[in-house]
Amino acid sequence: MGHTIAEKILGAHAGGGPARAGDVVVAAVDFAMLHDARATNALKRIEQLGASSLPFAKKTAFVADHYSPPPHQEAANIHRDMRAFAEQHGVVLYDVGEGICHQVLPEGGHFTCGDLVVGTDTHSTTYGAFNAFGTGVEGTDLSAVMMTGKLWFRVPETIRVDLAGRLQPGVWAKDLTLHMLGRLKDEGANYRAIEYAGAAVAAMEVDDRMTLSNHAAELGAKAALLEADAKTTAWLKARGAREPRPVKADADARYYERFEIDCAKLPPQIARKHKVDDVVGVDEAKGQRVHYALIGTCTNGRLDDIRQAAAILKGRRIAKGVRMIITPASRHVYLQAAREGLIEALTQAGASVEAAGCGTCVNVTGHLITGDGDVVITSANRNFKGRLGNANSEIFIGSSATVAASALTGQITDPRDVDGGDWRPAKAA
Amino acid sequence: MSIRGRAHVLGDDINTDIHCSSKYFPGKDNAYVAQHAFEQISPGFPSRFTKGGVIVAGKNFGNNSSREQAVHVLRMLGVAGIVANSFGRQFFRNCINNGLAVVECDLPVADGDEIEIDLALGRVAVPARDIVREVPALPPAVQAILAAGGLIPFLKAHPDWGAS
Repeated sequence: MGHTIAEKILGAHAGGGPARAGDVVVAAVDFAMLHDARATNALKRIEQLGASSLPFAKKTAFVADHYSPPPHQEAANIHRDMRAFAEQHGVVLYDVGEGICHQVLPEGGHFTCGDLVVGTDTHSTTYGAFNAFGTGVEGTDLSAVMMTGKLWFRVPETIRVDLAGRLQPGVWAKDLTLHMLGRLKDEGANYRAIEYAGAAVAAMEVDDRMTLSNHAAELGAKAALLEADAKTTAWLKARGAREPRPVKADADARYYERFEIDCAKLPPQIARKHKVDDVVGVDEAKGQRVHYALIGTCTNGRLDDIRQAAAILKGRRIAKGVRMIITPASRHVYLQAAREGLIEALTQAGASVEAAGCGTCVNVTGHLITGDGDVVITSANRNFKGRLGNANSEIFIGSSATVAASALTGQITDPRDVDGGDWRPAKAA
Repeated sequence: MSIRGRAHVLGDDINTDIHCSSKYFPGKDNAYVAQHAFEQISPGFPSRFTKGGVIVAGKNFGNNSSREQAVHVLRMLGVAGIVANSFGRQFFRNCINNGLAVVECDLPVADGDEIEIDLALGRVAVPARDIVREVPALPPAVQAILAAGGLIPFLKAHPDWGAS
């Protein structure tokens, strides 16, 4: 009986052969991340641990992305403490404006295929897009890693999803992950890893693959792993990552569950108000009036998201009564979007483009609080009641193309029904 | 490691924001927040809870936000253990890391029933109701962390993770 990617990576990092689902192992971590929203607790735990040295500090990044910019003095003080700690211990610091943790870690070349990466955020599953076992932890876990370079893990069972066929123009990884949420439901993959494989993954660019792994957090997944291919290794190499050690699943690996999705038949998907797993085809949500159109977050704030929006909105105006805000996932993404003229095109179309960060994902900065009755269409990952600071407004989720098409018309719109909505990256042949 | 305590019953899908609402962070300390634990679904729970008691809940106990404060607050109330049908993934980790015993099983009990948990044997019992449940024993590595009172005291005693 063979092994899953999760069993192989965790087993190898525990110093032996592949582990088995259900085993508890103490494994060596390759890189760790702490962001500002979890820093208070983590720094307190590190202090409690009272280690004489923190040898793993150089393989740890602190990222100031949630309180970006800090909305109150408590947040500003958290950033101050993170800066001082990073300086003292040699931690890699990504300060306000550099971008979202899950974007700056891969862009910084901090890990490679086959690695084990932990971060104080559920969306640390993102690193699985690069064939790394990325998973969310909390402050005590992080303090243990910083002192010892190791952490205990229960080896997860894996759900294998074969993505057959190919997503149609105007349909994106976001639509697939929303479809998964409709099928497995919120936290439906709790404790488990997910492996995504198949022709649709092979055809995806890295940006879209990151969405696939990232949004698995809403399924409750511990990790969401893809196999590496030439696109993966070229992307990592260009960013200075170490030599990749790709890990493949065995053909006879033992899975908790295995099923196939025919991607060619999938239309754009919408998660309706308040529930991330109340998912319908865009046809069933079409015509819903929207007041805000938001693109950004660790799930969908990457370059291809901004390109999707610009393909639809360049030379046009968003509908009267719609406010559109775009938050690039990182400074790199922002700069490249500027070089390509996307920032100018979107600003002329009536959108506001923010500095890189977690942006409008959740009401922690207070810079976007919706009004009573306001309806939001967003490319973010969660939409529970009150997430944007007002329980009397509604949040719908779709791909960045769907958000842009909806901003154009003022109502939820299938991107395939508007010019430019069929844009796809040139490289994705 | 064994635990004996009276049941305090809670329902399904008690997420960490119900344990300790984000409206108190940053700002209020854990002692304050503990006095407001579960106020949305069980007002007065902290004052009814007796130290050494066991929380018995349904599915997805501690799901959604991974905030570790949810467990710190339970420790502060004196919770000795939690039995639930299932747990949020990170909440389960946080409990073990903070020395709070967690057991996955379905236990039809009422407030005040005495619960006995034996983690090494993998056994949960409610003598008054003649209920005995066999559950998978926690792996030795996890039992060692629990026995030490959590990951921080464990690593203080075993900086090499107990390898030597």
